[in-house]
Amino acid sequence: MVAGRRRGHTSRQAQLRRLAAYCVTPAAVVILLLIAYPLASVLWEAVHNVILTNPAVSGFAGFDNFVTVFTDERFWPAFWRTGLWTAVSVAGEYALGLGSAVALAQPSRARGVSRAIVLIPWVIPIVVAGLTWTWMLTPDYGIVNLWLVNVGLLSKPFYWLGNLNTALLTVSVVNIWRSFPFYTICLLAALMAIPKELIESAAMDGADSIRRFIYITLPGVKTVSLTLIFIHVIATAINFDFIWVMTQGGPLNSSETLPILIYRFALEDFDVGAASALATMTMGFMLAVFFVYWYATRNPYEETR
Amino acid sequence: MKGLKRTFAATIAALCLIGAAHAAEPITLHFWVAWDPQQADGIAAKKEIAGYEQSHPGITIDVQNITYDALHSKLLTALAGGDAPDLSWGLPEWLGELSRMGALRDLTEDAKSWTDEKAIYPNVIDGLSIDGHLLAMPHYLGIRALLVHEDMLKAAGLPAPPKTWDELIADAKTIKAKTGKYGFGIAGTGVRSPQELIMYLAQNGVSLAERQPDGKYKNTWLDDKAKLAKATEVFAFYKSLIKDGAINPDGASWGWEEEDTDFSLGQYAMAIDGAWMDSRAAQNPEAMKDVAISAPPYKAQPATFFEINPFYVYKAGKHPKETWDFVTFMTGKEFQAAVHPNNSPRSDVTSDSKWGKDFTALAPTGVVFPPVALGAITRDMIESIGRTLLKDEDSEAAAKWLAAAINKDLKQSGELSGG
Repeated sequence: MVAGRRRGHTSRQAQLRRLAAYCVTPAAVVILLLIAYPLASVLWEAVHNVILTNPAVSGFAGFDNFVTVFTDERFWPAFWRTGLWTAVSVAGEYALGLGSAVALAQPSRARGVSRAIVLIPWVIPIVVAGLTWTWMLTPDYGIVNLWLVNVGLLSKPFYWLGNLNTALLTVSVVNIWRSFPFYTICLLAALMAIPKELIESAAMDGADSIRRFIYITLPGVKTVSLTLIFIHVIATAINFDFIWVMTQGGPLNSSETLPILIYRFALEDFDVGAASALATMTMGFMLAVFFVYWYATRNPYEETR
Repeated sequence: MKGLKRTFAATIAALCLIGAAHAAEPITLHFWVAWDPQQADGIAAKKEIAGYEQSHPGITIDVQNITYDALHSKLLTALAGGDAPDLSWGLPEWLGELSRMGALRDLTEDAKSWTDEKAIYPNVIDGLSIDGHLLAMPHYLGIRALLVHEDMLKAAGLPAPPKTWDELIADAKTIKAKTGKYGFGIAGTGVRSPQELIMYLAQNGVSLAERQPDGKYKNTWLDDKAKLAKATEVFAFYKSLIKDGAINPDGASWGWEEEDTDFSLGQYAMAIDGAWMDSRAAQNPEAMKDVAISAPPYKAQPATFFEINPFYVYKAGKHPKETWDFVTFMTGKEFQAAVHPNNSPRSDVTSDSKWGKDFTALAPTGVVFPPVALGAITRDMIESIGRTLLKDEDSEAAAKWLAAAINKDLKQSGELSGG
């Protein structure tokens, strides 16, 4: 009797496993087609000669494509620029996002409207935002220069996107403008989850607003903050469209980051092998960032249990 | 037996119906363009194509409009992915690389029965051929000239447009001093800046890359001090445009949009530009009414950029016969007279307006890009201008850097002589 029940239980488990396999199969096929195949293709091309304009050169290349990338005079400047662009963008987005979230968490009659308004930049498509800001920043007819000249901050219009020293920072500022609302929403949700009693009792114990912010608010949003920063470090480092729309990596490569360089290898030099090698390196770097994040946020209790 | 006969008859009838249906199956030709639908040529082209569809009931032309800046990468991606259109617009700079990729249909055989060929200027066909093979069809001619706002010159007390580089810089200084406006404009970046640079190089007797006895190409500036000196003078000319105040310093980062828009609004006095500016004249009749056309100023010899703008026909297209018919329609007299009355590659479509004859008169001094893969080379040309104008790099260093970069790019594409 017991053996029969066990057999029935086992066959039910097998049925459930089969059902699970059937359910997972479509998703697995999609993942294989859309992620695994392109990924494998990039890895394969990274170690093969694939030069579109030179079909005579083909076959296994070993590490030649990686050498091509490392010895290209554009690589290291683009690498450092990627770091700068990512650091400035994510830091700015976080600071503005946290500041606006704290402001929007305060009781106010216009809170609902303010929360809706702050979302506007985030819902504008990147290309539209990039083109609009490009027009607004032009020296001849851009409204930003007009305002800056009218209020006396500039003596004459400045070509923000045409200057070697300001192009990347200008795109970073526009990127911050567009991306901070996402931080605002997430951090606002985290702020609202902090128990009010905790803040009130700290206030009764004599903690001023700065101490309450440092010892209660910041720890309260730590997990959300780390997740946001991690996601955006990766998303910003591999961002192509914002920079391409606004400067195409110029002037004179001064806003050229690694994704722009990958594009140049593939579609200007027609060296798909070198482009794939650089894409592989970028992917490796992002994986390293992921493992650092995982290590920093892992729960030791979960591991030892 | 009767049943068998009926079945046989029904089968034959079905086969005939299928055959008829197949014969009448509509054909769609995918055509990628980069026109401005608001400009006169775009409006005229759409009308002509609609007329073609009406007179060819089985054929639909699926027109996709893409900006020139995006067209190149979209085409390359489509070609690599096996999803190319049947035909497209393009720049002549892409001929070499599309040919190296094996993407273009060899039109030599089709052209043997092309009766209109004799109406096309002979050097146009040469410019679209590589090693005697016709690889593209002519679309329009983009010959460059010096466009001058005559009123600004008069206000500065200048009787005639400049003929040499030195005169250009001197005149621009005078215009700035007398009118407060810049005298000249350039494209420091984007697709037009290499077209301007190759013209200035030709005006000083140097070329980007020369064909060598082995049939491949090489930049020889580093092997020949005289050529290096001439190339250096070109970059020194660019530098003096900024240093002497001939151009707006922001022009170093301008593309063709800023160059054309600011000229058509009368923001500066002179520009090297094409006959398409007649559309800008239609949009800004007041600011453009004083524009006169003359030969580009030069250093050692007269030269201008001769853009033989092509229609590219792709090997991967599924309907070669219909595509050939359509592309010959677009190079035909009716289409050209309607769409490109001022800048047609046909000798029987000419215009007496300044946008027609004044440009066509410069054709004998026209220079073209060498038929090599130019993707990286044009990018390096843009960078060499940026090094000169934005980084104020030494002119000889910029010339040497460009020479080495061109040969590196030729080696990469397997086109470097001895490489």
